[in-house]
Amino acid sequence: MTIDLANWLFVATAASYFAASVIFIAELLGRAGRAGPWAARLVALGVPLHAAQIVVWSLVLHVCPVEGIHFSLSVASMLACLAYVLARLRYRVDVVGAFVAPQALAFLLASRFVGPVNDEPRLRSALLPFHVAANLLGVALFTMAFAAAVAYLLQESRLKHKRFAGASRLPPIDALDRAEHGFLVAGFPLLTIGILTGTLWAREIEAGGAAAIARACLSYASWALIGGVLLLRAAAGWRGRRAAFGTILGFGLTLLVLVTYLVRSFGQVAAPGGVPA
Amino acid sequence: MLVVGLSHRTAPVEVRERLAAGADALPELLARLASRRELAEVMFLSTCNRVEVFALPKAADGVDAALAAIRDELAHHGGAVSGDALAAYQYQKRDEEAVRHLFRVAASLDSMVLGEPQILGQVKEAYDAALAAGTLKSLLGRCVSRAFAVAKRVRTETSIGAGTVSIASVAVELAWRVFGGLGDHAVLLVGAGEMAEAAARSLGNGARALHICNRSFDRAATLAGTLNASAVPWDSLAAELVQADVVVTSTASPTFVVTHEMVKRAMKARKGRTLLFVDIAVPRNVEPSVHGIDNVYVFNVDDLEQEVARGMKARQAEREAAERIVDDEVAQFLAWTRGLQVQPTGVAMRAKTRAVLLSELERSLGGRLKHLEGDRAALTQMVDSAVNKLLHAPTTRLKARAADGDDAGELALAIRFLFDLQEVGVAPEGESSSDAVPDAVGDEPLPH
Repeated sequence: MTIDLANWLFVATAASYFAASVIFIAELLGRAGRAGPWAARLVALGVPLHAAQIVVWSLVLHVCPVEGIHFSLSVASMLACLAYVLARLRYRVDVVGAFVAPQALAFLLASRFVGPVNDEPRLRSALLPFHVAANLLGVALFTMAFAAAVAYLLQESRLKHKRFAGASRLPPIDALDRAEHGFLVAGFPLLTIGILTGTLWAREIEAGGAAAIARACLSYASWALIGGVLLLRAAAGWRGRRAAFGTILGFGLTLLVLVTYLVRSFGQVAAPGGVPA
Repeated sequence: MLVVGLSHRTAPVEVRERLAAGADALPELLARLASRRELAEVMFLSTCNRVEVFALPKAADGVDAALAAIRDELAHHGGAVSGDALAAYQYQKRDEEAVRHLFRVAASLDSMVLGEPQILGQVKEAYDAALAAGTLKSLLGRCVSRAFAVAKRVRTETSIGAGTVSIASVAVELAWRVFGGLGDHAVLLVGAGEMAEAAARSLGNGARALHICNRSFDRAATLAGTLNASAVPWDSLAAELVQADVVVTSTASPTFVVTHEMVKRAMKARKGRTLLFVDIAVPRNVEPSVHGIDNVYVFNVDDLEQEVARGMKARQAEREAAERIVDDEVAQFLAWTRGLQVQPTGVAMRAKTRAVLLSELERSLGGRLKHLEGDRAALTQMVDSAVNKLLHAPTTRLKARAADGDDAGELALAIRFLFDLQEVGVAPEGESSSDAVPDAVGDEPLPH
């Protein structure tokens, strides 16, 4: 019964995200009129379904939702959608859903088909839930910042080429710039916590393999890059295009760290990957 | 129905402004028009592009007299000696053409800028003024109400109001594309030309602040007074570029007023905050290379006019569909009014039949009907039901014939002759009841 409920919630969530993705993309292509708000509502519908699915599924498997890549992917995508729903209250960024909804769908599906739950006792630590939770929230917010940065570059290109009116569904460029900055500012402290707890955790479990070191370097690089983007904006007025490229690059690096975890989970490496993520 | 008037198509502004009437003058003007014995109902529409009197003549055969009366009153209002003084600029329409004209005006199909939304509000103001003055009663009032529905239908079913069709509205659209809204942003007007003023009026409305910078400070101060803005000296232009978010330039300077270097320095001081230039001056005031600076956008008059042309073209493409809607609505309205023309015949036919049946019933009961308290209501109801059943087919067929545009007048005359309806006082001798405007127009529902 509980497994059936989890499966039903999984299908309902996937259907919501899928429908939202289709509408968002159709609207961007100018084939769905002004249907964006409906797509955003579908994402908003998907969030509680998704949260319920995570809770029920974790009860079925007797696993904490922030342990292992299996759940982490699902939680990260749910948090990204939640961040999107909340961000819509502050910024006019409906179009960001065109990036968030397909990504949430992809992560949701991946969470189901990626390797088994990582239950290795040696990796367990009091720091682990903080590390994973901070990183997941950070990834969710950077996803939003990435989507806003891509939309910014598209809108900027339209304006620089003077295709400024007509059927564009993109939000105002200034709103995109402010939204992107807001997501980065919110996500950076979480990334910092993730880095710190990850470093301490790696020391605790004495991780030190080549893969772990590479992952740590990537994590530090993404932290430095995003920190640099924020610093340059505050100190030297680096906004707009340069900030958007920096954000995209920073998100790319954090995504790369996530991918290394994914690759590891496929092979279920015995040794801990350890360091920060 | 009649209309006499002049518009941007027939009269220059010097003539139009002589005849225009503000809200204060309307009550007196309407009262004077309504006091003319030739007119039954009247509405006065005055905008910057048109002055028109819509009216209903008192008698069907008094149309020419009614037209002459309106012309005289307009001439009197405009300070001319006689109605003929304005004849060269005026047009007059009657019946179907007058109804079509009102519907087209309300739907903005006769406007200088096709599809502009203000005209509907102006027609509503004219309608309210006429209602308040008591010069709108039944038929003309219903026609104006219908015009509002037609305008709404045209806007809903076509894209006649879509797109941007003026430099000012394109500037507003641009500001939205860049900032979303101007509530937190400042607008700087460089120069004080007419075009910049128009753009500033649109942009400055919702802006946090509006500053005007002009070589002549006095001119800037005068304009600032009318726009609820503040004037700044010409020397502080570079400093103003740091504060402003939208800059509208319109000076007559033969060289660039805003240079690449100026904007570079300003952007540094602004810490990269977005800056939008709307350069509507010819020759251009903003150096074109400024558009290449990160987070700075420059749009010149050619860019804006291209957008205006696109908007106009899109609206023109919708004109045909809008005209079809107007044609359809005119046909429905006229069918409804023709139905009203035969309504008195139907009413008289029912009244006479009912009277005859009740009288026969009374007679057959030997005068006991008034004493049969319990049965009286039931018997009267039976008579009403019989009248309805008997006359349903002829009444609906008569109305349908009228609505189809066939000559229902002859049929109505035949019915009156056959049923000897003159005796029940439908229409006095010499005044055709089919031409008279019924009092109970409001009882008959319009189509839709």
